[in-house]
Amino acid sequence: MDASETARTIRFTLNGRPVTTTVESHLDLVDLLRRLDHFGARESCGQGLCGCCTVLVDGVAMSGCLTLAQLVDGRRVDAVEGLDRGGALSPVQQAFIDEGAFQCGFCTPGFVLMTHQLLERNPNPSEGEIRDFLAGNLCRCAAYPEIIRAVKSAASRMRASAAA
Amino acid sequence: MRGFELVHPGSLAEAIALLDTDDDRVRPFSGGTALMLMMKTGVFRPSRLVHLGRIGAAHAAIAAGPNGGLRIGAMATLTAVEHSADVIRVAPVIAGAMKRLANVRVRNVACVGGNLAHGDPHMDLPPVLAALGGRVAIAGPQGTREVAVEHLFSGYYETVLGRGELITEVELPSQRGWTSAYLKCTTRSADDWPALGVAVSLRRAGGVIAEARLVVSAATEKLTRLAGAEAALVGAAADGTAFARAADAAVAEVELVEDARGSADYKAQLLRVHLKRALAQAVNDGAVS
Repeated sequence: MDASETARTIRFTLNGRPVTTTVESHLDLVDLLRRLDHFGARESCGQGLCGCCTVLVDGVAMSGCLTLAQLVDGRRVDAVEGLDRGGALSPVQQAFIDEGAFQCGFCTPGFVLMTHQLLERNPNPSEGEIRDFLAGNLCRCAAYPEIIRAVKSAASRMRASAAA
Repeated sequence: MRGFELVHPGSLAEAIALLDTDDDRVRPFSGGTALMLMMKTGVFRPSRLVHLGRIGAAHAAIAAGPNGGLRIGAMATLTAVEHSADVIRVAPVIAGAMKRLANVRVRNVACVGGNLAHGDPHMDLPPVLAALGGRVAIAGPQGTREVAVEHLFSGYYETVLGRGELITEVELPSQRGWTSAYLKCTTRSADDWPALGVAVSLRRAGGVIAEARLVVSAATEKLTRLAGAEAALVGAAADGTAFARAADAAVAEVELVEDARGSADYKAQLLRVHLKRALAQAVNDGAVS
């Protein structure tokens, strides 16, 4: 079937802004975000294993590379570009910088979004829980010790600001 | 990937009607994590995908039955299964298997029905559900029927599901008195597909094993119940001698597949070791529910 015959117009919210666009049936969510000039979610493994394409859909983390773009019709999509909407980096982003939790940075948006998801559900995770939750995110620079420290640091910052 | 028709039925009957065709490029699509891989590699080129999202909520309930059983809707996500209080209480072996199944993002969208219907012998959930005595409810153009999970698979990536049929629910019988364990072995990296999966479920009474359900997967063309190993256990005390006898029987009765994860001889040794470990774990760790 010709791709143009299967295109549909979808409406969704991207980082709080309404978007209306036409997408072909085979397009995945990473490709759609790139068309919309959002480059934080990257396709790396293309198999849902590495986490570089992590996107939140209705608040749930999923692999953008395994998500058909037409299926975000009517839903809320949050990509890493939305985290500093308030003008300041999110506590997780700041903790990753402060702990030097990356080298090349290719995997960082995925780790940051997964960390937000983890801390939203579990504000004080143990190291084992952090490792389990992030097991599906790969960092080829092997910044894992710094990443674990950044997650712990972000957790304590977010707990402190929640208590304040 | 090429273009295809993506349709969104509003009822189970409508979904079945859309799937009831001779075109084998028409498939149901729930979480889509497995099909997307096949589509991206060109193994599967759909003409129509029947997306089940709009009818998902009606088939996603997880509920413990009054008699110690459990029902899991086919559209329940693996994350929902992992964190379900009913699953953790009735069949903790299922929740435990989730921790090392793919990753959080895949579990967030992948659904129980698709995990079974995909027919991939490397999946973790099918052998566990088979060892627990699970049955699937199936709806199709000719009505509904039930099939035991152990009989759902007819070959490598093949199931007994017919044209237009969808799995709607998994039902587990009472787990009272049974203890279970699932072990998988990955030979290349911790997150690799398993070279071997072993699920065991035992009911002990009067100091001996009264009933046993043992299932091997991943190392075989399809998940396989180990009848000879079960016979070696029933009536025996749950000890290392009986477990070793069962492991020998298991190795003798199944045909193991050689692939990139190991030779058949190597997998025979993996089966021998992991079956004994799984049996010991079911006896030692498994709290009798």
